[in-house]
Amino acid sequence: MIDFTGWARSATDPGQANGKPEALPGLRVLEVCPGHFGGMVAASILSEFGADVIKVEPPGGDPSRKYAPEGIAIGGTGLPFLSEARNRRFVTLSLVSGEGRGLFRRMALGADMILTSEDAARLEEMGLGYESLSVENPGLIFLALSTYGSFGPNARRRVKDADILCQALSGAPYIVGEPERDGSGPPGPHQAPTRLGNWHAWFVEGLWGAFGVLAALHFRAETGKGQFVDVSGAEGLMKFVDYNITWMHTAGKERQRTGNFDPAVFPYTYIRCKDGHTFIAAYNDEAFESLMTIVGRPGLTRDPRFSTPAARVRMENEKALLSILEEWSGNLTADEILRAVEDYTTKKSGPGAAVVTGRVNRPLETLAETNWWERGCFARVADPVYGDLLLAAPPWKMSGTPARLKSVCRPPGADNKDVYCGLLGLSAAELDALSERGVI
Amino acid sequence: MSGFQAFAENAFSLPGISAKPEVLKGIRVIELATRIFGPVTSDYLGEFGAEVIKVELPLRGDLMRYVAPEGFFWKEVSPAFLSLNRNKLHVAIDVRLPEGKDLFTRLAEKADVVVENLRAGTMDEWGIGYLQLRERNPGLIYAANSGFGQWGPYSQGRASYDATAQAVSGFSAITGFPGRPPVKAGFWVGDYTGALFSAVAILSALAARRRTGEGQLIDISQAEAMIRTLDWTWIHAGKTGKDRERAGNLDVVLPPSGIYRCADGFVALSARDGEERAGLRKAVGAASSGPAPAGEGDPLSPERVAGFAASRTRAQILRASEEAGFSAAPVVGGREQYHDPHLRARGTVWELDDPLYGRIDEYGPVPKLSESPGRMKWTAKPVGYHNEQVFGGLLDLSAEEMENLARKKVIGKWAEVPGARPPQDD
Repeated sequence: MIDFTGWARSATDPGQANGKPEALPGLRVLEVCPGHFGGMVAASILSEFGADVIKVEPPGGDPSRKYAPEGIAIGGTGLPFLSEARNRRFVTLSLVSGEGRGLFRRMALGADMILTSEDAARLEEMGLGYESLSVENPGLIFLALSTYGSFGPNARRRVKDADILCQALSGAPYIVGEPERDGSGPPGPHQAPTRLGNWHAWFVEGLWGAFGVLAALHFRAETGKGQFVDVSGAEGLMKFVDYNITWMHTAGKERQRTGNFDPAVFPYTYIRCKDGHTFIAAYNDEAFESLMTIVGRPGLTRDPRFSTPAARVRMENEKALLSILEEWSGNLTADEILRAVEDYTTKKSGPGAAVVTGRVNRPLETLAETNWWERGCFARVADPVYGDLLLAAPPWKMSGTPARLKSVCRPPGADNKDVYCGLLGLSAAELDALSERGVI
Repeated sequence: MSGFQAFAENAFSLPGISAKPEVLKGIRVIELATRIFGPVTSDYLGEFGAEVIKVELPLRGDLMRYVAPEGFFWKEVSPAFLSLNRNKLHVAIDVRLPEGKDLFTRLAEKADVVVENLRAGTMDEWGIGYLQLRERNPGLIYAANSGFGQWGPYSQGRASYDATAQAVSGFSAITGFPGRPPVKAGFWVGDYTGALFSAVAILSALAARRRTGEGQLIDISQAEAMIRTLDWTWIHAGKTGKDRERAGNLDVVLPPSGIYRCADGFVALSARDGEERAGLRKAVGAASSGPAPAGEGDPLSPERVAGFAASRTRAQILRASEEAGFSAAPVVGGREQYHDPHLRARGTVWELDDPLYGRIDEYGPVPKLSESPGRMKWTAKPVGYHNEQVFGGLLDLSAEEMENLARKKVIGKWAEVPGARPPQDD
């Protein structure tokens, strides 16, 4: 019999991905998402699966190259752009000029997919929208990313799609963070709807975009037909916000902020420990009994405040239980808590084993754990232009057609010749002339 | 209405959806998963027409059935369970018994995709893991969703929930306010994020299979999915050797973009580029009486913007943003979403008529596809609700065979408890 763990490792180790086939070879994707990180995510994911992605930047470079936390830029490009510019070819093109539109149209007619965060109505006016292009390229899959989506009463609201707008509308911040202070005095700045610290809405928007176009690709394989895929970044993250709508519909209630507590399951929270915070969960009865044994308070399973799931999720009981847990955890490190939980739960199976923990890592702590490196989650890459960089690698381990990281970034227009001459058949002289006229 | 607007309203009209084809029709997914990570992965496929057969243990079924907000069950079902399990066929098999394994294997033989989220290696120990199933079905795509992956130092013995992924990935460390503890997002973001990564990989594997006929194993860890979403955190750590700090409600890359308190709630203001910053500067400047006092510095400092927002309502700020040329959006919760005509017109709040429960509104499909749109057809069902349809229809078991299996507790139905059972007659 084959040992599954050993087999899975050898079959899916990202270190062995090169040489294996890719899932989406030959799929040509045009990315027209200036200033938009979510569009970059969608394009990155397709590229990691093997698509040939051409990023179209305005002459002078994409505005998102200027996004530079702490002012750090390398060769004029900020770190966020460099973190998500992988596996592409980079061309510049002005869509303002008729000539530029003509070139774009020629590229679009040979493309399988267009991903854009530009105003779809404006593109249509320029003859570069889905309706115009699909006449000549009926297999085209066209993804529009925006805050509100392309139809519906708010579709014409004038906003430039951004992570913070999508987060706000998603309902996520509304239930993240500390509740307003009760009683006297103004609330502190942290007693407010709290944004997810990363660009999670932009990421999720890009992921849903990739999901949508891959689903559309499946349909095209069966019918030959392309289609328009409309993704609202706000709705992308909204989909993750649990039972907001069913709770409203069935109970007429709205989810509220509860800090690190949870209205449906407890314990399910972060607890203070000797070296920071760690997560602890044990919410079904069997797991709760396990946890109370681990913390040396088995009698509490009969305490009416904690004896049923419904009792445990009463807010005052959640708070009481948190103090009890922190009496125990305060003298232990996160690793000691993990070992205590593992020692106990490995002897159990089924619902009683569902005691779950994990240290609340700062990023450098995550980076210091060898596990992620062994799993190929991070890559240190040496780029000829941008130097040595640390990137997050594709997270999937796949045995047949693994995703992979092939390149980091190129300067604006670095692939103009390759694409315009190689793909569209322009001469070197024509290329020079376009450049002089500011089209590319 | 512009030409494009008319096209879009027509191409995506909700009443038109039922007559259009489903994009994943003919794809069969077997789900052996509990709680959120696995069930949501197959839910996303089911929304687009895949036939999802959810396999639960007889009687109590998926433990998520008992996760009920404030302990509340509606018609004997938890509203938290409903929103994770739409368009599925519910069967109950005890896959730990030999005949149960056999039944599961027969389902997997007829499937395109298996989704599971048990601890790494459990399915293999049970004899129904990827290596065993692919012997019978080489085209099978097998998504193994887990906390830490199928191999590697953390893969054995460590269980995981959403917040494990939030914690270990570094996500919580960069969420929240300076000088305050790290924040656990109040929704199960570590599960949904992992699930969406898993579903995307399944679609890519289907594309590969169309060419080769071969399936594959997809090993996806929810912690690793969260790591992938932390944008510039890693490249910044690599370059500076420093931790990214919590920055509260300010987007430090695009300041003063952020969430601000206003007179009647909260609002997100966004200034992504020079044009929008100029617009915001104009609005903030026009709002202050006279020129900024000397020494007050940048008119776009978060403090100045906060002052601008504090005295205005959300509606006033939205209007000001459109006039001045920056972007703004209200911070909304479930109540506003539930009543939002825009979300209803888009089917994002989907008005579902379920044959068993009646009207139940839920979040609808996210990507809107003009030719082959997703849709909600029915919501979750009691344990074993579709046994006859699946075992009889798909596996050709006779009524007698099913009775026999039920007697041996290989297959079964719901326990008589809220969460598992059908609505009770009054």
